[in-house]
Order: sequence, then C-alpha cells, then structure tokens
Amino acid sequence: MINEDLVEQGFALPGELIGTNEEFTKGEQTFDEGGNIYASVMGCVELHKQSRIISVKPVINPLNYIQNQDIVIGRVTAIRNSVVLVEITHIKGKGERKIINLGQAAIHVSNIRDAYVDNISRELCPFDIVKAKVIDVESMRLTTAGKELGVMKAFCSKCRQQLHKNGVKLVCKSCGNKETRKISVNYGTGII
Amino acid sequence: MDKPEKFIIDGIRLDGRKPDELRPMKIEVGVLNRADGSCYLEFGKNKVLAAVYGPREVHPRHMQKPTTAVVRFKYNMASFSVEERKRPGPDRRSIEVSKVSREAVEPMIFTEYFPKSAIDIFVEVLQADAGTRTAGINAASVALADASIPMRGLVSSCAVGKVDGELVLDLMKDEDNYGEADVPVAMTPDGEITLLQMDGNLTKEELKKAVEMATEGCKQIYKLQRDALIERYKKDLEEHKEEVELVEIIAESEETSIESTIDNTDESGGLNDE
Repeated sequence: MINEDLVEQGFALPGELIGTNEEFTKGEQTFDEGGNIYASVMGCVELHKQSRIISVKPVINPLNYIQNQDIVIGRVTAIRNSVVLVEITHIKGKGERKIINLGQAAIHVSNIRDAYVDNISRELCPFDIVKAKVIDVESMRLTTAGKELGVMKAFCSKCRQQLHKNGVKLVCKSCGNKETRKISVNYGTGII
Repeated sequence: MDKPEKFIIDGIRLDGRKPDELRPMKIEVGVLNRADGSCYLEFGKNKVLAAVYGPREVHPRHMQKPTTAVVRFKYNMASFSVEERKRPGPDRRSIEVSKVSREAVEPMIFTEYFPKSAIDIFVEVLQADAGTRTAGINAASVALADASIPMRGLVSSCAVGKVDGELVLDLMKDEDNYGEADVPVAMTPDGEITLLQMDGNLTKEELKKAVEMATEGCKQIYKLQRDALIERYKKDLEEHKEEVELVEIIAESEETSIESTIDNTDESGGLNDE
C-alpha cells in the first residue's frame, strides 16, 4: 500500500534526532526529549504531509502487533450468551514473532456469519480452530463472516476426534456423529 | 605468558597500539535465525555472540511486573573461551557481569511500553581476551536495535586501564592481568554513563582522565555499531529486491508458458485441420 501523503525522510537509528517539537508531531516509534523528536527504532523516517506527524517505520524484525483487518488464527476458548471468546495464536503473514498486544478476542453473534444465527453452538464450539478477521483492535473484536473465514478444524463433541467435511456438514469418522459449524472454505486443508 | 618488564615502549603497547587506540572491532548483525535480534562481535581477540528475544511472556510468572517489561541479561562464558578450561555454568563473576550489563542497557529500553512481558538478552563469550563485558554490552545493544525494540539510543562500552603508571584505552589480556587498574565504562551517545566499575586503584584526576578517554573510545565504537546496523539494513534491502525480482521473473515465465501453451494448441489445431 502506497500512501502518497507520506514522504520518506531517510533512515534513522534509535536515539537519532529526526526533528523538533515545533515543526512536527511525534508519531509511532519516536520519542520526545527536551523539545526534540528522536527515533526509537531503526527504520525509515516518514512524514505525513497534512498532519505533520513524523514517524519511523521499522525495517527489520518489526514487532508483531495485531492490527485492524488482519487475518488471525486462534482457538475458541469459551462461549457466552452472545459472544464467542477466542485465543489468538498467529497473524497471517506476520512470521513467528510473539504478538505483543495479545489478549482475549471476541466474536459477537452478529459477526459469525452474514445470515441470522439462531444458536451459537451450531456455528462455533470450544476447541475449534478458527480463522477470523480483526474488525476492531481496541476491543479485540473479530468476525468470521466471509467464505474464507470460519472454522478450520473442529472436534467431535462426543468423542473428541477430528471432524471431516462432508458437503456442508461435518462428520465424525469414529462415532458417526454429525455436526454443523460455520466452516471456512479452507476447512481441513491447513491453508491460512 | 609471564609478566612483561615494560608494557609501553616508546609510546607503543605490547600489541603495537598507541595508548589511546582501540582494538579492531568487527560487528555482524542478524546472524541467528531463531532469535528476534542478534549480533556477532569481535573485539580484538574477544569473540561474543548476543541474542535478543522478546518482548515475550514472562516465565516464571511471579517475575513479571504489571507496569513495565523485565529485562533479563545473561552473560555466559563458554568453557573453551579461556586458556584453562572454565567450569561451565554461572559463577560469582558471570552473575555480577550479567547484573551490571543489564543495568547498563536497561535504562535505554522503553520497558514501559511492554508491561507484563520480558526482554531476554543472552551474551555468549566464545573467546575471551579481557574486556568481555564491554564487548557483551556493545553486542547486546546492537542486537536490541536489530530486534526493533524501542530504545532511547545505542549503548557503547569500552574500558580504560592503567599500566606502567599510564592510562591506556581498551586493555588486552596481559595488560588486564598484570596492570594496575581496569575501568570498564558504558555510555549513551549523549555521554551519559550507564556502567562504571573499577578494579584496582586510580587517583581522582586519573579517573577523570580515564572517563574522558573512555568517552572518546565509546564514540568510535558507536560509529562502528551504527555502520554495522546500516550495513544490515542495506543487505535486507538487497535481499528484498532479489525477492521482488524473483517474483517478477516467475510471473513473467508463467506468462510466457501460458503463451507457449496457447501457441501449441494453435499449432495442433492447425495440424488437425490438415
């Protein structure tokens, strides 16, 4: 994504002076000391033309933060009246570095699928591995509405074996139990 | 080696350096794949490896702080790092070095940004030749920058000692063993001291002079650290460029292969017509 409002201002190392208080507002990865603005990480200095916000974009090994619109993988930990709680473990395309702003994430009933959801337990169950999209990082809200999103792997509620996809339903091969979920098109493939 | 009679002959030290000259330093950034940030540093005959992990979960849990990150620094000497085999594992000396080194780098890290997490720094001394703690701090500071951990600046460190009654910068092994004093110093680019120790005795004036000399040394080291990090960035850019080019090449070859398959069908179609 190229933002035309951003102007590259060169390269800075931690502790290097990139501007003063009077000319810019400090943005991400910068700090203010005695009226001067310094970079706090190694990276490219970027200046937003209109707002005059100066920030530094880390170039190598950036810290792993969950951001809006990120696709995340997690496990359902609990189900409440109208929300499903998810423990996030991975962000799509962000490598293996530990996620910093990790916390309990929630999927509200209205965000499970595009259609009306009558019973949550027919859509998501504890221990399911889900692929979801972040819609709000502040309150950690996720959504599974969409073809790609939904349950990636589910377990039989009777015998805990892995469920296999059979049309729109999930079938347990060991006990024959049939269950329904909000499944992703990638169910059982491991494709994130 | 026995104690030499004189350490400084005609203003030149045993290894051919001037009294205010550092040993050559080589810094390589990003040498470990599994670490979040890493650095390999050679400082004269010293060889150290630094790795940074985190911010990550704190284990054991009781160590975590609700408002800031905990910085853990582990300095360890390999059993083969010295002439006589060193008994492996932490000892009184390495615990002390870990503590002072942690205190040398911790004030530069924005620990308040990462509550309830830990930043782990590991420094392994592979080969020791006096001044390993300064080498360790230099390497750790570069590794922290490599890990993109927000910092107020890079810490640089070097030692000043006294041999033959004269102050010298950056002691080597014999000067350290048989010298009169050893003063390791770590400081920020602004000249704020985060580590100052003294082994042996110096007068007030000598200590002042020693800190001045160390400041000069740290400035030189800061430049080297800076260059190493910029080098790492350039290398990363090139790799990235290659990746982009590779993707373009693959895309192009796919296009040509599609075109060629189209050509083939045309030809076969033509043959069928005949």
